Amino acid sequence: MSGVAPLPGTGLDIDMNVETASLRRRLEEAEETLRAIREGEVDALVIGGSRPDRPDEVFTLEAGPEPYRVFMEAMDIGAAALDDGDRLLFANTALCALLGRSVEDLQESGLTAALGEEAEPQLRELLRRGREGRASAEFRAGVGDEERLLLLSAAPLRLGPTFGLALTAADFTERQRAASVEESERLARAVIASASEAVVVCDRDGRITHVSRSGLALCADVPVGRMFDEAYPLIVPEMTGLPAGEDLIAMAVGGGMIQGIEASLGEAPAQRSFLVSAAPLIVSGDDIRGCVVTLVDLTQRKEAERHQLLLMKELDHRVKNTLALVVSICTRTASSEDTVEGFRRAFLGRIHALAATHTLLAEKSWANLLIGDVVAAELAPYVPAGDSRLAMTGLDIWVSPRAATALGLVLHELATNAAKYGALSTLGGSIAVSGHLDREAEELTLEWRESGGPGIHTEPVRRGFGRSVIARSLSYAPDGGAELRFAPDGLECTIRVPWQDLQL
Amino acid sequence: MSQDPQRPIRLTLYVAGQTPKSLAAIRNLERICEEHFPGRYAVEVVDLRTAPHLAREHNIVAIPTLVRELPTPMRKLIGDLSDTEKVLVSLSVNEA
Repeated sequence: MSGVAPLPGTGLDIDMNVETASLRRRLEEAEETLRAIREGEVDALVIGGSRPDRPDEVFTLEAGPEPYRVFMEAMDIGAAALDDGDRLLFANTALCALLGRSVEDLQESGLTAALGEEAEPQLRELLRRGREGRASAEFRAGVGDEERLLLLSAAPLRLGPTFGLALTAADFTERQRAASVEESERLARAVIASASEAVVVCDRDGRITHVSRSGLALCADVPVGRMFDEAYPLIVPEMTGLPAGEDLIAMAVGGGMIQGIEASLGEAPAQRSFLVSAAPLIVSGDDIRGCVVTLVDLTQRKEAERHQLLLMKELDHRVKNTLALVVSICTRTASSEDTVEGFRRAFLGRIHALAATHTLLAEKSWANLLIGDVVAAELAPYVPAGDSRLAMTGLDIWVSPRAATALGLVLHELATNAAKYGALSTLGGSIAVSGHLDREAEELTLEWRESGGPGIHTEPVRRGFGRSVIARSLSYAPDGGAELRFAPDGLECTIRVPWQDLQL
Repeated sequence: MSQDPQRPIRLTLYVAGQTPKSLAAIRNLERICEEHFPGRYAVEVVDLRTAPHLAREHNIVAIPTLVRELPTPMRKLIGDLSDTEKVLVSLSVNEA
């Protein structure tokens, strides 16, 4: 410029104008930049762009997101920062490892891609709630071939002038797996513990690891931790090469199945019988971890079998006894009766007496009988129970079937005699039967007293079978028997019931 | 705001990684363009953190900066573009 004003319309003038405009624009830009920095509208600057010897570098102004990134990187758990549009600003290495993706992947495709499309509504809801306050939700993410269980928490995060979200992710796949293993273990324990039969689980060495409640009841001490053989010393009867406890475990651990071996535990009288089975404990594949032994208590069944056998023997014995008694009654009645008719009546009467007692016994399943019932049954054909002619006192005493049968025969003889010749042969006669129990002397005597009958003037000379039955029926024991007394008012009889056959 | 509906708008937004202002600028620009210039804008986002040398083309100093390349003349707007009115004034094509 030489102080000469440029000529209007020349090229120089135009160049000047363009340059001035450019300068003005650059100045405006610089001013705008400064204003923007001053007013906090920028948070990064490019340094070095104007110097050819220095490469351009970007520096962030103010704190920006950098400190939180450093902080997030230092965290063990997965963490991410999201802006208020739910875009991922940053994800730490832990989260990238959890999701099996790089930060760039996550920034590009978002969290939904990492968690799966189906998780999208749930994730959106979590982020929405996270903006209002802390919120958590569980997610399943497929990482490689593995499925991970993640607990994602979202909370509001201030990012400079705006608000975003802080997202943390904890992997509880392992914890869940451990919890599920623990749960199934607990279930298995409960199953074993609740088993109604004795179930004993042993490890490969035969050491007990689990026992059901019924199994515990078989041991005086806690069996867990002890060797099976020691805790349950099984005795196998007729043990000729059959396995006992130790061999049982060895066979089962070796993969063999042992089923239904009868064995006993403990010593008489507390000895119990068991049906013992053992099987290998296969956890997976061919992996035998030990064995499971079950002991089914046969004691009661055995007891029932024994009882049945006893009853059969008893029945056999009684049938033989009864037949012998019938034969004896027949022979003796025949020898003491003069006519066939007399024999028939006497014999049938005695058989009926026997039958009456048997009926009572059968009703009671051959258990004990009340003396009063036997008296009433034998006298029933002549005088019904409750009749004023029959007085019964002190007869509520239980006796064994043996004593009841004998007593029945004695009472039958006394009753038939009373009906023929004694108190029951007249309308005014009566009979009193009373029981006298002397616990100290261990004596039970029954007194039969007739009165109001025709009376006895002389003791009969003839001793028929009836007297023999009365005298001998109860004398199978030293303290048993009966004595007749021919008192003037009527027949009296003292019957002694063997003490051993009383059920007091 | 009267704008020529036919003329395309080409914009370049310079950002620096994920600084809050950069991200805010991206979101605001997307929103404004979608609302006011649907179908006739093209935005290129340049991350100067990964490619700082690209700052030279438009002589960028502050980030974020929006450069209107079309319609000419070129205009720059610095900041996170949160003031919609100001952005629309800068982008308005009728003044070009």
